[in-house]
Amino acid sequence: MPGFSATTFLVGSTTLFFCFTCPWLSEYISFVIPIYVAVIFLFTLANFCMATFMDPGVFPRAEEDEDKEDDFRAPLYKTVEIKGIQVRMKWCSTCRFYRPPRCSHCSVCDNCVEDFDHHCPWVNNCIGRRNYRYFFLFLISLTTHIINVFGFGLVYVLHHRHQLDTPHAAVTMAVMCVAGLFFVPVAGLTGFHMVLVSRGRTTNEQVTGKFRGGVNPFTNGCTRNISHVLCSSQAPRYMGRQRSPLTMDVQPPFLRPALTEAQLEAKVLDNGIQNDRHSTRSKSSLDQTESQSADAEPPPPPPPPKPELRYPGLPRADTEESSLLTEAPPTPSMFKYRPAFNSPGRNHTALTHPNKMIRGESLDSPSPTILQSSRQSSYRSEPSSLDGTTVVGGGMGARRGGGERGEGPGGPGGTAGMISGGMSGYSLTGRSYTSYPSSLVLSAGGSRSSSLRSAQTAHNPLTTLQSEGTTDTSYKSLANQTPRNGSLSYDSLLTPSESPEFESAVHELSPQKPRAPFPSATVTGQHDRVSPSSPLQGYTSPFLSAQIAQQREGQLLQGSATFSSPHRAYLRADSSRAPRHLSSLSSSPRSFEPPISPPPRGLSLGKSPSYIVEVGPQHKPRPAGGGIVLGGGGAGGGPQAPQSTSRPVLANHTTSKPGGGVKKVTGVGGTTYEISV
Amino acid sequence: MAREFHNLQELRHNASLVTKVFVQRDYTEGTVCRFQAKFPSELDHRIERTLLEETVKTLNSYYVEAEKIGGQSYLEGCLACATAYIVFLCMETRYEKVLKKISGYIHEQNEKIYAPRGLLLTDPVERGMRVLEISVFEDRGSSSSSPSSSMSSAGSSAR
Repeated sequence: MPGFSATTFLVGSTTLFFCFTCPWLSEYISFVIPIYVAVIFLFTLANFCMATFMDPGVFPRAEEDEDKEDDFRAPLYKTVEIKGIQVRMKWCSTCRFYRPPRCSHCSVCDNCVEDFDHHCPWVNNCIGRRNYRYFFLFLISLTTHIINVFGFGLVYVLHHRHQLDTPHAAVTMAVMCVAGLFFVPVAGLTGFHMVLVSRGRTTNEQVTGKFRGGVNPFTNGCTRNISHVLCSSQAPRYMGRQRSPLTMDVQPPFLRPALTEAQLEAKVLDNGIQNDRHSTRSKSSLDQTESQSADAEPPPPPPPPKPELRYPGLPRADTEESSLLTEAPPTPSMFKYRPAFNSPGRNHTALTHPNKMIRGESLDSPSPTILQSSRQSSYRSEPSSLDGTTVVGGGMGARRGGGERGEGPGGPGGTAGMISGGMSGYSLTGRSYTSYPSSLVLSAGGSRSSSLRSAQTAHNPLTTLQSEGTTDTSYKSLANQTPRNGSLSYDSLLTPSESPEFESAVHELSPQKPRAPFPSATVTGQHDRVSPSSPLQGYTSPFLSAQIAQQREGQLLQGSATFSSPHRAYLRADSSRAPRHLSSLSSSPRSFEPPISPPPRGLSLGKSPSYIVEVGPQHKPRPAGGGIVLGGGGAGGGPQAPQSTSRPVLANHTTSKPGGGVKKVTGVGGTTYEISV
Repeated sequence: MAREFHNLQELRHNASLVTKVFVQRDYTEGTVCRFQAKFPSELDHRIERTLLEETVKTLNSYYVEAEKIGGQSYLEGCLACATAYIVFLCMETRYEKVLKKISGYIHEQNEKIYAPRGLLLTDPVERGMRVLEISVFEDRGSSSSSPSSSMSSAGSSAR
């Protein structure tokens, strides 16, 4: 709408100017005037069209294979050093990669845009790397054009002071009014962008205050910045490119490099273990993450390895586990966001990644298979809509997956389904549980984009529930607490209000992490009652007490991301009972199949609700990923006693698990994970 | 296979995609397009370090050339402005020209160096210039240590 009206005003006013004012001007003053005005007008139009129709620099979605290296345990942020300054790259759950510096995800266009400036409603397009120049020139030329029109109209009017009742004069005055009206905002915007260009900043960076008082690593000096904007070669398109038509035939036998002496020695000495590690280690990105993080900051102490939680049976478990455990967490600062459970509005679909480190600290029992399967399934089935169901991750270390706020509907659900289906017998490990209910975050309904989506997913209480307590979101929101301008399509992260609580809860819970093995069937029955109002989630678990169910419904209906203390208290009490939906989820066959949008890997608590439904009723369903997470998180803060009591409760509801022994581990937030041993 | 009546195709070893290794971007100098010269450890036993590093260095130099702000790019910009950007319909920009060169270079490298070693480079521009993707193939006849079924979606299977 604004785009259309902008075009109308521009073209209409100029046409009137040419028809009514210019004849007199060319006759009595100079014939050059209309030509000059016409040239400027054409230049304005050309830049307007380029700004409107040109691809701003959209990144194509990452392929599935690229995703594997950043599994659900990967952190929400990756830090990179740019000219000595630490810059964080956030994981984009929609596009499935870590956003390059200066890249941002536009919720209107639902794309990550390179060098994202802002989303301009007047041209109805994002302004990014490729079309910023045209947008800038459009502003300059439009300002000039308005000045021209106003100025020459004024000349006309002054000469016809005594003939103002003629239609020509009247039209000229009307055009002058329009021009005058638009001059103020346009000139203001032009001046603003001139300052931005000279400083080498984008609107996004300026408005979010990224470099307020700090140093901008992207600036090269005023002259260079200006020349970069105006004189650099047109950046290439990434979307819609023709794939290289040249095919390559890769045929064995393959050449291999000769092993060096050291390598041979290592081979001999390690009995092949070293090689196994190498060969099974298909996560090259992990290496890079390591190196990057090494560059960025001194790595925090690695999470304690939990060898007892490893499942040798899982082919990838070792790889992931070892890589995860040996990998230094990329950003120590992640810790401080850990407990952030609250994540009110997660505006954009980015996933919150629970900090890898934090996750590692919680139960680390890897369920790589689950994760992988969940990841894969959720990845494939991920629709863009936010369903807040990021929960899917089944709370599996939902680093990324969990973090998905309102990302794709059914993302969590899907994952959950998958997980439960695929991983029966594997309880969601603490990882998924993690103190960052990234899943919660995912469902955060508060986010702008999610609000859009939640409209779509109104039926899905998960969204609302999840929005209540997503830790990851809050975690992310803590990170980005800049004010969000409505006209700018930034991800707005609502400042979590519950984070302090969650943090305390987390801390309290963390010591509880290691747990004696629980009966495997933890949550079988309860999931059914988890979702009273959501058909998708099937939160309702038949075993839930009426009170809980009632409360749950209250939660579900809340739909807001805020955690109230009573709510929290409820959660606490509840958490003990349903330590981990996830575990239950994993044990029961999946019953629902919502599309899973959130990253498959992260199974955050938020996701667990979806699981719960499927799983046994045993656990109290954690309806809103958020709510539950909070419960989990909050529960952490809550008394420990309930947890112990929950165990016997859990024990009673042993679900049949394909796995043999099942170890129950309590994760952060009081959720218990079942680890099949 | 002890039988004698298998046709050649069956007897031929097939290569299957095992994994993909990603060389990430190097952002230490800003958003200029550069790839990390760090050698990924997964390729330790597949290719010599120097070869890959050489490839990455050459690619980086190509990108520097593409993004250079100099006479040609300035003239291109002026011409575009003067013609109300209609010239973009006829002319190829400098960046696109260099990208074509890069694509040819990658193909040549694949042919000469990487395919014989069971690797395949993917042009970074297909991934939005975020990563340099190296597909690792394994002889299907030999056992591969990591499951590759999930990789089947990748298009670059050898056979």
